[in-house]
Amino acid sequence: MNDDIAVGIDLGTSYSCVAAMLDGAPQVLPNEWGERTHASVVSFLDDASVLVGNNAKKNIITNAENTVYSAKRLIGRFYFSDEVKKAQAVMPYKIVEGPNNSVRIGVRDKVFAVPEISALVLKEMKAIAETALGREVKKAVVTCPAYFNDNQRQATKDAGRIAGLEVLRIINEPTAAALAYGFGKDISQRICIYDLGGGTFDVSVLEIGRDVFEVLSTAGDTYLGGDDFDDRIMAWLADDFLKNHGLDLRQNRYCLQMLKEAGEKAKIEVGRDGVADIQVPAICQSPEGQVLDLKQTLQAEQFNRMVMDLVQRTFKVCDEALQSARITASDIDAVILVGGPTRLPIIRQSVRHYFQREPLTGIDPDEVVALGASIQASALLNAAAAESGQASYLLDVTPLSLRVATVGGYTEKILAKNTPIPIEKSKTFTTSRDGQDRVKIRVVQGESNRVEECELLGEFEFSGFRVSKRGDVQIEVTFEIDPNGIVNVSAMDRESKKRATTTISLSSGLSEKDIQTAIDTAAEIELAGHQPA
Amino acid sequence: MDLEFLMAVEARSAAIDAQDYFEVLGLPREAQPADIKAAYYRESRAFHPDRFAAAPSAELRAQIGRIYRRINEAYTVLRDDARRRRYLADVTGPERDKKLRFTEAEESQVKAEQKQKLEEVFGQTPNGRKFYAAALKEVEGQRWDTAERAIKSALMYEPGNARFKELLAQIEKSKPKHDPFKIR
Repeated sequence: MNDDIAVGIDLGTSYSCVAAMLDGAPQVLPNEWGERTHASVVSFLDDASVLVGNNAKKNIITNAENTVYSAKRLIGRFYFSDEVKKAQAVMPYKIVEGPNNSVRIGVRDKVFAVPEISALVLKEMKAIAETALGREVKKAVVTCPAYFNDNQRQATKDAGRIAGLEVLRIINEPTAAALAYGFGKDISQRICIYDLGGGTFDVSVLEIGRDVFEVLSTAGDTYLGGDDFDDRIMAWLADDFLKNHGLDLRQNRYCLQMLKEAGEKAKIEVGRDGVADIQVPAICQSPEGQVLDLKQTLQAEQFNRMVMDLVQRTFKVCDEALQSARITASDIDAVILVGGPTRLPIIRQSVRHYFQREPLTGIDPDEVVALGASIQASALLNAAAAESGQASYLLDVTPLSLRVATVGGYTEKILAKNTPIPIEKSKTFTTSRDGQDRVKIRVVQGESNRVEECELLGEFEFSGFRVSKRGDVQIEVTFEIDPNGIVNVSAMDRESKKRATTTISLSSGLSEKDIQTAIDTAAEIELAGHQPA
Repeated sequence: MDLEFLMAVEARSAAIDAQDYFEVLGLPREAQPADIKAAYYRESRAFHPDRFAAAPSAELRAQIGRIYRRINEAYTVLRDDARRRRYLADVTGPERDKKLRFTEAEESQVKAEQKQKLEEVFGQTPNGRKFYAAALKEVEGQRWDTAERAIKSALMYEPGNARFKELLAQIEKSKPKHDPFKIR
């Protein structure tokens, strides 16, 4: 039992990372080439194998239709959501509608659910860990943004299963980062995690009391990330090119990808050197057949002006988190930056200004989440840790209020946001018709009392209770949020205390049968670029 | 994990529905925020589900889950000063057994109460409201006969409205005793 191993995986929008506890210390596991973070890009090759990671990223341009990136932006979303519409406009791969308003990705002649794509990234992480450790890895803790809703968490968990991993726990990225920071340090502090990733932004305020990590509040924006900074540079480059040459680079998917790459590179360069030299030779041809180059220089000051509103948006989220925790910025003892974009001087300066304190250095913003996840993975595996006093306890919260839809398009709050999890709450429903044999409820997450402004989690149908006159039958419905932040709903006839049958009649997720099929499909897919074991 | 501990967990899981939140966290009723936090941390160290994630017994894990969910519920209520005050009143009152688990005054219930109050003031039916408003206006101008007619019309639409009846009684009292039109 004790030689069992579990890894921690940071499944990011742009990059992923895997780590494990080795000899009592968390360590990042590099791949065969020494790379420590891996692009979350999945490229389907001609020979039916699949390339994942930094090499696959190169294929975004050369094999655009068959290379899927930023799938995390789509995970657990409904086809009609704004994020999916936006992705359809910019992604070179095919995004199509699946059953129950779900999102599917079409590659070559196959159609994949989004968790199946993420599963391939996880499968790559599993393979990297197995090569680095020289043994089979079956268990993992996978992280997700703190502000992810139930659909997104469930889909992330499904992705792990499809990849052939037993997901011990889904933990929040900022919480994992806090764990990596405070583990074994014996400190008592209030800290703030500022996590700006590729596609999401999270803030968590925690109180660390030795081995207890209590999340006081969390807030976020699942539509804000480093990609949005790239977009600003892209828009500027494209507008400028349009002015000079009369050609819109955004109209061509190939040019758009070149532009995207140039934008990302310029962002990194301008952050590192204060100025970026942008050169993309032969980006397109004019109607006269002349080959045109893209050349520009981006100064830090100009870049800062471009993204100022995005930076401001992050602090509005910080305000919200601090307010929920009922403290002010000056009560914070330490600020930890997580995510690649936090390397930008504009972010560091703004964070310093906001908190009136220097953010902590010496923490790698790309690796800290995976390290924290690996600590948690090892703790969950090893029951002895608690007895020997080596354990740490994560007391996390639910980021969104859980509600049920009522009549007239309104909702009623069941559990408020920032409530500690796991937790449960019951509510009694009565039948409204004589002889009614089933009760349907819609469960949503969000902060609005209007149902259309909340995220739909699913529709549950209860049956198998006593059938009688209207108002006679009382059904007690229990809403439970488990330690993963995933919602479970069950019902009981109050009089007979008999459990009612629950069926999910509407959901964005995969059914158990779908998952089983996906597990088989994923097992058959071969990862390119690895030595056969 | 020794047998003694397992038995303690089982006993605690079984007893939890009869405990109030102070008992769940092992606190005196006059506990202050700092005590509450300390107790929450203490109980979390003992009953956090992560500690038992690798435990082979599913039954033990279910019992721990049940205990810990209640610990979180207790903390959520007690850490908030306003809620703690209300809860304290609930569990020290006569209906203690029914109020061991805190429920927010449900949004819809509050709304319904407000609506009822408004309706009592202005009437539940459009015609009731119209005649009631007219009656009030007539009372203001001390035209008692028209006021009486208006409020009686309003009561035709809403015979049960207490406020309407009250106004009618008031009008009847204020009305001059001698009706000038009455034929002796």
